[in-house]
Amino acid sequence: MTTPIKTVISQKILKKEVLEGDLCTGCGACVGLCPYQVIYHDRTVQLHTCDLENGKCYDFCPRTSTDLNELRNMLFDAGDLTPETGAVKGYYFSRATDRQLREDAQHGGTVTALMELALFEGLIDSAIVSARDQEFVQNGVVVKDEAALRKNAGSKFTVSPTVAAFNRLAATKEAGKIGVVATPCQALALAKMKLKAVKEDRGKIDQLKLVIGLYCGWAFAAQKFKELMGQNDIELESIAGMDIPAGKNSLEIYTGNGTKSFPLSDAQACIRSACNYCLDSTAEYADISVGAARFGDSWEEMRHWNQMIVRTGKGRNLIELAIKRGVLEVRNAPAESLRQLKNVAGEKKKEALKNIIRKSGSAKNLLYLDRHDPVVRRFLAK
Amino acid sequence: MSKLLSPARTQVLFMGNEAIARGALEAGLNVAAGYPGTPSSEIIESLAHVARERKLYVEWSTNEKVALEVAAAASFAGLRSMCVMKQNGVNVASDFLLHLTASGTRGGLVLVTCEDPGALSSVNEGESRYFARMLEIPLLEPSSFQEAKDLTKWAFELSEAIGNVVMLRSVTRMSHASGNVICGKLPAKSRRAKFDYDGPVMDSRTGPMISTPVVAKHTLHQKKLKGVEVLFEKSPFNRYAGPAKPQLLIITSSVCFLYSQEAIKMLGLHKKVGILKLGCTWPLPPALLKKHLLKTDKILIVEEVLSFLEENVKVLAAGMLKQMGSKIFYGKIDGSLPSVGELNPDIVAAALGKIMKVKRKSLPADYTRKLQKAAALVPVREQTFCAGCPHRASFWNIHNAIALDGRKGFVCGDIGCYSMAALSPATGYHTMPTLHSMGSGTGLASGFAKLAAFGFDKPILTVCGDSTFYHAVIPALINAQHNRADITFIVLDNAGTAMTGFQPHPGLPTSALKETVPAVDIAAICAAIGAKVMISDPFDLETTSKILTSFLEDKGSVKVLILRQACALSPEKKGKKKFNVKVNDALCLGESCGCNRLCTRIFRCPALIWDRIKKKALVDEVICAGCGVCASICPQKAILKTEATV
Amino acid sequence: MLVTAGYYVTIGETFGMSQRGGSVMSHLRISRESVLSPQIPQGRADIIVGLEPAEALRVLTRYGNPDVVVLINSRVVYPIGVITGELSYPSLSEIESIFKELTAHSWLIDATIAAVELGNPVLSNIVMIGALAKTALLPICRRAFEKEIARNMAADKCEINLRAFDAGAGMIENIVD
Repeated sequence: MTTPIKTVISQKILKKEVLEGDLCTGCGACVGLCPYQVIYHDRTVQLHTCDLENGKCYDFCPRTSTDLNELRNMLFDAGDLTPETGAVKGYYFSRATDRQLREDAQHGGTVTALMELALFEGLIDSAIVSARDQEFVQNGVVVKDEAALRKNAGSKFTVSPTVAAFNRLAATKEAGKIGVVATPCQALALAKMKLKAVKEDRGKIDQLKLVIGLYCGWAFAAQKFKELMGQNDIELESIAGMDIPAGKNSLEIYTGNGTKSFPLSDAQACIRSACNYCLDSTAEYADISVGAARFGDSWEEMRHWNQMIVRTGKGRNLIELAIKRGVLEVRNAPAESLRQLKNVAGEKKKEALKNIIRKSGSAKNLLYLDRHDPVVRRFLAK
Repeated sequence: MSKLLSPARTQVLFMGNEAIARGALEAGLNVAAGYPGTPSSEIIESLAHVARERKLYVEWSTNEKVALEVAAAASFAGLRSMCVMKQNGVNVASDFLLHLTASGTRGGLVLVTCEDPGALSSVNEGESRYFARMLEIPLLEPSSFQEAKDLTKWAFELSEAIGNVVMLRSVTRMSHASGNVICGKLPAKSRRAKFDYDGPVMDSRTGPMISTPVVAKHTLHQKKLKGVEVLFEKSPFNRYAGPAKPQLLIITSSVCFLYSQEAIKMLGLHKKVGILKLGCTWPLPPALLKKHLLKTDKILIVEEVLSFLEENVKVLAAGMLKQMGSKIFYGKIDGSLPSVGELNPDIVAAALGKIMKVKRKSLPADYTRKLQKAAALVPVREQTFCAGCPHRASFWNIHNAIALDGRKGFVCGDIGCYSMAALSPATGYHTMPTLHSMGSGTGLASGFAKLAAFGFDKPILTVCGDSTFYHAVIPALINAQHNRADITFIVLDNAGTAMTGFQPHPGLPTSALKETVPAVDIAAICAAIGAKVMISDPFDLETTSKILTSFLEDKGSVKVLILRQACALSPEKKGKKKFNVKVNDALCLGESCGCNRLCTRIFRCPALIWDRIKKKALVDEVICAGCGVCASICPQKAILKTEATV
Repeated sequence: MLVTAGYYVTIGETFGMSQRGGSVMSHLRISRESVLSPQIPQGRADIIVGLEPAEALRVLTRYGNPDVVVLINSRVVYPIGVITGELSYPSLSEIESIFKELTAHSWLIDATIAAVELGNPVLSNIVMIGALAKTALLPICRRAFEKEIARNMAADKCEINLRAFDAGAGMIENIVD
């Protein structure tokens, strides 16, 4: 008797495991590759059915299973790897030397300064960053100059399908060198692309030359956030920026009519559910990861400086160039800061694993994660 | 000269519907009104063609009820009028019809209903013959093309004789079939209209046209119907052919007569089986029936759709049980004939063979086996929107908007070519799960939209065609607006009554008689109701999709989107390509990840075919209508459209 | 033409929604004696004129018999299920061999190409009529056709229709020796 061959249709399992499983981060990795997967607001939508097996949509998704060890070995020096924050070649505090840029950007303006430099020096031809439209819908946009970069500086707090913009740009094959500013899930997706690209697509993916990662604890679900703003009579168009200042237990919304503050619990009620299952708060799969200098010595330092993890040789070279060109002011970070960061990052991993087990119902089923992965094993509650 | 006006005594090939039109002309028709619907539309159309020569007033009315009212006015004024519709239309007209039969008529008024057994072009297999019984009016059913003409002519005389409506029932295989007809004389004179209403209330010639006093008028009505029975006893349209003492008597009407005749011939039973063919099927003439029922003990009743004739014959037979003794009746009720679908000579022959225990000469077994093997190779040909059909683009937009919205919204369907979105779900990209009568989509949507309080939070959409909008949608739309039903109402405006052959409707500046008339603007009506109205071209996927997604997000009111693009088969478009469309092989991704044949696997245009050898899409230029929409959906921009030079 | 020649003609057709991409069939019946029903009994067709190969085959499987003769336009119009890949379409050679085996005679002609060459694919119907006339199976001749065309068509369309008719007739000559 012959057993029928069970076909595994990528789009179907992606839907079942990720979209319906509430794991979709909205990163856009499965979007822009084909006509079937699209992003609408911050939701990934399957427009029509696709019956292909081995689709890129499944392969590139940061919430489908991956051999993370293989990925780490491909991208990083083994000696740099830490269980809490991934590869660390160096750990610094930094800020842009340009005062105007610091004012426009969220904290120290490090990300924008680095991207500007990479563009100016020809290390990349285009940068993909997250932009927000008037209706508060986020999208990845391709920018090629300083003005456009600065226009989109600042933390967004809602997800952006940035990887979709990379997919679209890379598909042109003549994109040149591409740099991407990515959240942890987006950085993981980009890393998976490098690992899994089929031969014909190699040339497209190899155009990716630089990934600057953003620290990320969670993001808002657009709909829930909209509702929260609506309930508080804040017009979405009026929002100029927002932050969760270190030490304060609140979300601050900066509008034309001044700052409005919400208890953090209100804000947390709007968190995208997928974020609860994410282990990565420091964008471990980037060349350089940047966040607020939350664990600095002074309030001034915490508010107006960035902390930064250099992960790859390419990342190191860029920082050295930035110092040489004088666009970045860099300090050695205090050891206590790294200890605190590791502590917080480790807690996030533990919490996420707990959430995953609660969702799957079994410690043997970690959804997209492999329970034999050394990092996962380290943080699994005994 | 139009074939319809052929001189007397010439023999012509008429479509059943043309024969009916000719019959009406020979009767001296003055006014004809109707609403298009397959298989009835050609009657009004062919009358409109000769309206000027024959001094007729012919109109396509907004709906069947209005058409009957228009025809009734002419009758009240002493003119001969005809009202034409498909079977479903009788349901629409029935409210007025019920009152009209109670008040009675003056000039001959014939209601023609063209029915569709097997629902070849309908969404149900309805029956109108029961209306004749329920409303107590005469029913005539032609069984040949000649009879279609002759019975129609006589129907006017009959209507005038009894002062009431006469119903003439045709079926698809009569209306849309063609056959020989010998023409009669066309009258030279036309009548003048005159409406008297000051006479006594019971005087149907001079009194008011009302149904009161109800009981008195009803009594009179029934008395006249008794008179009809007498006329039917002697009618030449009811005839018997066959042996004097048949082993089996077939009683039949309509095109089923031709099937029965042929079945007898196929089985070589003409010496054993006789046929009583009835042209007048309600009220049944009792003496005639008795005479023929007495000839034999076995009776087969052959008719389509419901067992109307069979029931009526049985009621008569039951009343004459003492004189006739018991009979065996075969028909739909005992399962000798199928109770659904249309009949044909084979089905009748099978029933006849079974009753008479005769086998039909069959093809060689080996040949039949080979035919069956060949049949397995023939792919099913599913109905779909034509190449270049605006509905495909409209449903593409609708599907995408619903998918993006993510709440599993759906479309309440309506009657028109776009019904195919429900009949063949993949054609409408699986968006349209309901389909009922004209205008019902909007009424259903209005109802679904009020279920939010019961936890039913989905965007509700509905579609209707431009002609359907005027026909029956307006009351439902007003209902939705007034009751604050949150619906997205989409008018698929393809500039005509496309499915039935581009008859004009109130939205167009031309009448059935090709006169210039005021066009009634759909957008203005919707705006006047208070709805939010947008207009878009369905071929402009980007704009249309934007409007639709914004409509689905905009909660709490009636949103109207009018999608304007003429039907690909419309006279102004047919045979004229706007674009030349080609596939660039080098760019076409075909089956690989990144496309997986979106155009041929999902979009489903009959002109975009799949080359299985090259594994590339291909445009069949003979079928392609040049709309160019596929060029907008190809993710690879591999489908190229270039402006066609005229 | 046939009515004028003294025959009873019955043509049975379906249209309306059934024409939209579905399969459509017309029955033409001719008798010297009486009106026939608008539907041909199963296995009783004398001639099948197929405007598309698979449709001709579909009709053959229902109305065919060993004596039937068949004229087919070889131009394929794919059903939507074949286009999407859910169904397969038999090869032309397969169809041709079935017709060879199961009919008394069959002609497979590319009427659409001939019509396209004349400038309009719609003319393929007239090409088929020309071919049918040439087979001499029906009492229709060029002169009668000419008269009918002149009566039903605008004057400027007559010539092209007659050319299409002749093109069809020519295709039969080429096949039958």
